[in-house]
Amino acid sequence: MIEATNLSKRYGEIAAVDGVSFSVQRGEVVGFLGPNGAGKTTTMRMLTGFLPPTDGTARICGHDIFEEPLEARRAIGYLPEMPPLYPEMTVVSYVDYVARIKDVPRSARRAKVERALERCGLADVGRRVIGTLSKGYRQRVGLAQAIVHEPPVLILDEPTIGLDPIQIGEIRQLIADLAGGGGGEPQHTVILSTHILPEVEAICRRVVMINAGRKTVDAPLAELTSGGRGLEELFARHTARDLADEVKP
Amino acid sequence: MKHVPTVAWRELRSLFVSPVAYGVLSLFAVLAGLFFVLSVAAFLNYVLQLEQFQAMDQLEKVNLSDQLVAQFYDTMGVILLMAVPAITMGLFAAEKSNGTQELLLTSPLTIWDIVLGKFTAAAGFIAILVAMVAAFPGLLFVYGDPEVGKTVSGLLGLLLIGWTYVAIGAFASSLTRSMVVSFLITIVFLLVILLLPAIAEFGVLGRAGQVGDALTWLSTGEHFQQLLKGLVDTGDLAYFAVIIGSFLLLTKASVESVRWR
Repeated sequence: MIEATNLSKRYGEIAAVDGVSFSVQRGEVVGFLGPNGAGKTTTMRMLTGFLPPTDGTARICGHDIFEEPLEARRAIGYLPEMPPLYPEMTVVSYVDYVARIKDVPRSARRAKVERALERCGLADVGRRVIGTLSKGYRQRVGLAQAIVHEPPVLILDEPTIGLDPIQIGEIRQLIADLAGGGGGEPQHTVILSTHILPEVEAICRRVVMINAGRKTVDAPLAELTSGGRGLEELFARHTARDLADEVKP
Repeated sequence: MKHVPTVAWRELRSLFVSPVAYGVLSLFAVLAGLFFVLSVAAFLNYVLQLEQFQAMDQLEKVNLSDQLVAQFYDTMGVILLMAVPAITMGLFAAEKSNGTQELLLTSPLTIWDIVLGKFTAAAGFIAILVAMVAAFPGLLFVYGDPEVGKTVSGLLGLLLIGWTYVAIGAFASSLTRSMVVSFLITIVFLLVILLLPAIAEFGVLGRAGQVGDALTWLSTGEHFQQLLKGLVDTGDLAYFAVIIGSFLLLTKASVESVRWR
């Protein structure tokens, strides 16, 4: 569903992302892991077509993000690091607007908007103005906008950042539900970035770790945590090694 | 291009929940009323003076269209110049500061959907302002007999300079993420355009000739004056089309450039 081949992004001399390749199959939930500044957001922006890669390609559901941008973008639900909200709009009119620009057909729009609101626990605040909502609710509105057109691929950039533990639990449960499908619903393929390790353990089945723009780990979660080693140790090892490299003259 | 109305409609709705739109509308209404009354007073004064001096040949030439309506429109053109930047400042700058630019650019929209949608919304708002202006000469038809042609072509002129300002304001807004900066860039730009004929008169680099003509042509002023005189010329209409088109192209390039940084 998602296929990144040798993705690179350079800003002058600095390589923010350097030759990252991976692929994600239908129904998989992949945790995109790395310390802050590792290039997670840049990679996700390249996957969604917001930023063009300096090198390499990204394909979403078989559509190259730059050769067939409209088809590829239609297949993506994207929650950027900062939820893209219009503070002056109400929740319903905002999600409805997103459904329109995502090409949801008119006949299905109302039902899909309602469904998205319900799945994100927003049914009660539909008429509220987004600017008056708490951070947790805004994050949910961000998630509702990502899933309203029921895209096969979900790209979530730090979906639980800045939330309290209860809200984090709710959002994780929601993501798990989206991936699991359930009730014969179409399964979403999810890639979510984070630097919170318990989050990965809670919802992801596979881990792609990057550090300083390079991919360092790409393996199923079960394999990584087998033998009693925690994810934390692994994370520390992979990021520390690169830091040591950088210190060398 | 099928999403132009979607983008335009959202933009208009957001405009109308913001205090800026109502501020501009009420300020514009008050100023339009004030300047209309002043224009009427000046007109009466002028007629009175001519009568006192018994300047019959001049008195014969006096008419509501040239001495009142055209003057009023001219003033409202300057007021528009102040109003437009307030309307256009947020067009693209707000998308950047909200982070919604990322939503627009990762949705199945073309850049033209976004640019034309926003232009349409602001142009629609300007049309409301011009309709407010139109109410005043409308009053004159009750009490007097201004020329319909000139009244309408002047309004068309106001609409066209308003849309030209919008295209310029949209471009300025696409350059920055700050509404204040966007407002200031637009005001400066519009003032320069307004003052181009004055610059041309002083002469550029000591040559008033062709460079001066070019500068005068670039300014909205002369083309607007033609329309105020009731002369609807294809040349002037083409001028507005060219300037609006050019700035929309620049805006498109500017919005797209996020991708190439």
